[in-house]
Formats: sequence, C-alpha cells, structure tokens
Amino acid sequence: MKTLKNPLKSNAIKSKIILQFAAAVMLSFSWVQNAAAQLNVTVTTGMIADLTENIGGENVKVTALMGSGVDPHLYKATQGDLRRLTQADLVLYNGLHLEGKMQEIFDKLARKKPVFAISDRIAETRLLRHGAVHDPHIWFDVQLWIEAGKRITEILAEQDPEHAKAYQQRAQNYLNKLAELDSWVQQQIQQIPQQKRILITAHDAFGYFGKAYGLNVMGLQGISTAAEFGLQDIKQLKDVIVANHINAVFVESSVSPRFIESLVKGVAAEGHQLHIGGELYSDAMGLADTPEGTYIGMVRHNVSTIVSALIHSTLKDQQTAQGNP
Amino acid sequence: MTTFIQDHLSDLWILATASLVAISCALVGVFLILRRQSLMGDAISHSVLLGIVLAFMLSGTRDLPVLLGGAVLIGLVTAWLSDSLHKVGNLQKDAGIGIVFTLFFAIGVILISLYAGQIDLDQECVLYGEIAFVPFDTIIWGDMENGIDLGPRAFWSIAIVFALVLASIWIAFGRLQTVSFHPSLAASLGINVLFWHYFLMTLVSLTTVASFDAVGAILVVALLVIPAASAYLLAKSLKNMLWLAALYAEVAVLTGYALAVWLDSSISASIAVCAGLLLFLTVVGLQIHKLRLQKRAVKTLA
Repeated sequence: MKTLKNPLKSNAIKSKIILQFAAAVMLSFSWVQNAAAQLNVTVTTGMIADLTENIGGENVKVTALMGSGVDPHLYKATQGDLRRLTQADLVLYNGLHLEGKMQEIFDKLARKKPVFAISDRIAETRLLRHGAVHDPHIWFDVQLWIEAGKRITEILAEQDPEHAKAYQQRAQNYLNKLAELDSWVQQQIQQIPQQKRILITAHDAFGYFGKAYGLNVMGLQGISTAAEFGLQDIKQLKDVIVANHINAVFVESSVSPRFIESLVKGVAAEGHQLHIGGELYSDAMGLADTPEGTYIGMVRHNVSTIVSALIHSTLKDQQTAQGNP
Repeated sequence: MTTFIQDHLSDLWILATASLVAISCALVGVFLILRRQSLMGDAISHSVLLGIVLAFMLSGTRDLPVLLGGAVLIGLVTAWLSDSLHKVGNLQKDAGIGIVFTLFFAIGVILISLYAGQIDLDQECVLYGEIAFVPFDTIIWGDMENGIDLGPRAFWSIAIVFALVLASIWIAFGRLQTVSFHPSLAASLGINVLFWHYFLMTLVSLTTVASFDAVGAILVVALLVIPAASAYLLAKSLKNMLWLAALYAEVAVLTGYALAVWLDSSISASIAVCAGLLLFLTVVGLQIHKLRLQKRAVKTLA
C-alpha cells in the first residue's frame, strides 16, 4: 500500500518557510529610520554603554556591540553589527588598542560620521605603558573613568546641542556618584594591611586599579587574554606568593579559571596554603539586570571580593601565629 | 534604484568580497584536494603567527603591510617545507603539514613570550579580518579628510589575488592538470614538476593570507576544503570540478549571507555552515541516486 502524500500541503509549508526567510532578509535590508528624536549611539563595550546611558538618559539610544560577559579580545562581529554601526549617529569606543584591529575601521568610519575614543583626552602621564603600547583597561581607575565620563558629556553636548543642558545635569549627578565610589574604594583598600596589598589574577587587566589604589598587581597572562604565559611567569608568581604569605588569588569572569586553579594547586603542592578569593569582573561586566551588570556594581563587587579575601587571609595568619607561639 | 544601491552598498561590498574570496579559495582548493593537501589552509592559519612576530621584531612596527608580508613569506615556507618533508623525508603528506605548522606556531609562541609579551600581537588581533566590517575599511586616495573613497581595501587586495589565481589557472591549465594527475608522465614529458609545485604553493599562500586579512580564518579554511570536496564528488574532469567548486562556493556565500542576516550571526561562520550543508546535501543526494540505480538494476535483472 502506498500512502499518497498531500503535495499541496508540503508545498505550502515549504513556500511559507521560504517566504518568511525572504521577508526576514528584506526587512533587515531596509534601513529603518528611528522616528524618535533620540541620538543613536553605538558603543563597543558594556562599560561604555553603561556610562553613556547614565549621562545620555532618555535622549540617547545606546547599543553595545559586545554583550555582557564578552571579552573584547575575543569579540566576533555579527551581521547585525554592520547595521548597528551604519545606523549610528555617533560611535564611541574605548581606544588605546582595546578594540584591536577595529581601530582601523573606526579611523575610516570617522570620515562619514562622528566617531570618538573616550580615552582620547586622558593625559599621557596618567596612562600606563607597556613598552610601545598603552594599557587599555582605564575603567579600573574610577578617576580615569570620571575623565571618560566628562569626555562623553562633551561629545554628546556637541552632537546634540539641543539637549546639552540635560546631558550636563545628568553627568554632574552621575559623576558625583563615581567620585563617591572612588573614595569608597580608597577607604576599603586602606583596610588591608600594607604588606598584604598584592592582587594576583589571570591577566594584566588591573594595572590602573593597582596604581590608583596602591595595590601591587601581578598577572599570569600578558595584556591580551589570547597570549600564552611562560613557565618563568608561574615560577616568579609562586615565589612572590610564598615570600609574601599571600593566601588568596582571584579568577576573572571573562578568562577561563583553569590557569589560576592550576597555580593554586601548584603552590599547595609546595605546602603553602592558597585559595581562590573569588571572581572579579575584568574585561566585561556581569549580566544585565544584576547588580554587577552596572559599572558601579561591578567595581563594588570587585573591591568587596578583594578586600574580604585579603583581610580574611590576614586574620587566618594571625590565628595561626597565635596558635603556634 | 540608485537609492537602493546606496542603502545596500555595504551589503554589496561584503557579498562581492566574500564571493571573490570564496571562488579564489575554491579554485585553489581543487588542486589541494587532488594533491591530498586540503589542510594546508589550516596549517598556514597557524604558522602565520611566526611570520607576524618575525616581521614585528625586524621592523618594530605593527603596520599591516609589513605583517602581511611576513605572513605570506612564512605561509610559503610552510607549504614548501611540509612538501619537502614528504619528498625528502619520505613522510606522509599530512604528517609533513602537521609537523611544520605546529613547529612554526610553537616558535611564534615562544618568541612572543620572550620579546613581545606585553603587546597584543597574535594573528587573531592583527591579521584576521572581520568580513562584517569590510565596507568601513576603505582605501582613501589623497588625505584622510578630503580624499576620494576608492572602496574597501580588502575587496581590492582579494580582487588582485583572484585575478592572479584565475590567470594562472587559465594560462597553465594543461600543465597543472598533467602535474596534478600524472606527475610521472609530466616529468617524462619534460615538464618541470618542481616548478609547478612551488608555483601552486605560492598561489595557496597568497590566497590564504590575503583572504585571512579580508574575512578571517574559519571561513578561509572552510572554503579551501568544502566547495572543492563537494565538486570532487560530482565532477568528471578537472575543468568540470573547477566550475562546480566555484559554483558551490558562490551558492554558499549567498545562502550564508542570508542566514547571517536572518539570525544576526557571524557572517563567516554562517557561510561556512552553508558550505557544509551543501556538501551534506550532495552526499545524501548521491546516496539516494545510487540506491535508485541499484533498485532499477535489481528490477531489470528480475
């Protein structure tokens, strides 16, 4: 027995799928103009999106190319990112080579529309250098981030003079909050005993943080999360850990924890106690709609994690010292 | 119509660049498949790291032309050396490729950690392009402010390579055919087999590095292997296979781009997926065809 297929039906489904597909293609091909008088701002990282939203408020529509949790070093563009850039009225990026090869694209795009690196006005003396290149992770020094905020306010007021007042007002408000955050971080770090202020993480993202708040920062990997690290790097780190009685090291949200875990095991094998002090947000913020999904929340999380782990290890030291007189 | 073209200029540049990359890779890939060296593209994608690091150390700059030059040279050395290992060392072809590119990649990693540890210097960051951003990276004639926009840099560089590949195959078709299928016959006919071999490897290295710069690594590796492999399943002659490979590559580009638009996904990954799907469909189609032929044969026998 042969069962007859209903050719009409299967054809109908097929053509429906094809039609939907074609419609999706057509839709995305037609540049839809934004009806509202909002300034379309496309930014690279989540941190810049957060800063721009806080200053721009309802006058801007911010789109970030790199979603939450995406390491800028490992970012892959999608077809929609092309549209996000062509449709933007204004493009903001971090600069200092954080965006890697995209830098050339921004230079070229600047011929057609306003494109700015938010770090372009930060004084040379305040930047960290590694040989010929700058460390791009400026957001970990809250004062530098305030500078970046001022620059964004300037740019927004220039591009959208009608709402300049609103931008300046919101900026004053938010940057005051950042100044409070800065002094809070200072206070928190002061609680850690001087000789314990050593921060060990997976890659060198916390240089500005260390410089601004007086911590000695060491990383396993270089600046780029894509680079490998050498045996000497691990040995040096181990020596520092043992010599300074460090008990806590930190993993990062955007870097695989396995290197730090192997470091912990390696040091433990030599009879020194070392544990993972917690997870820090480095190159990307936490998920949207969580406290760590905002810049302030991210900094607070990082600082609390660092302070409690390092202080905790100090207390433990004292206990063991009292235990074995 | 003019506004349509203006509105979709970016899409058209991307499609044009992707098509040129795809067809160049497919044509070169045909010869690689026939010589059982399909993974040469993958090998070059790793060994270019050494070329980039050496170029950086010798010149001290991260300028793209310098690094590209280093990458092409090391690509050539990879192709040459892995084949020499096969010829002189009597190793299998795939083993030769595997040895050379891992060695080069490893040397590159050591050099980076010795001399360039503090700098973002890896092929991912300095060489591999992103096809979505091809329309923005244009060549400007004259100064940055008022110069004339000549279109995407990647498009022109890959267009030159495409012309070179096409011209080489056009002019040397007979030679390449003989060398690929009957190397011993070619040698007895007085054809310089070694020369044509190195000629082909130069073509491979140029095509891969130029394509890496234009569209990134996954797409190039996929396009070197998959369209040529699909064509291999169907083709009856070398000419036939070249045409089919180019056709498969172009269809993969068009459907892949549509898929990327639809899903808002990476364009290169979508094109690679479509190329893979086309190959899969071809295999299934051929199997069904074979089964039908068998059934018919059984029927006629009965």
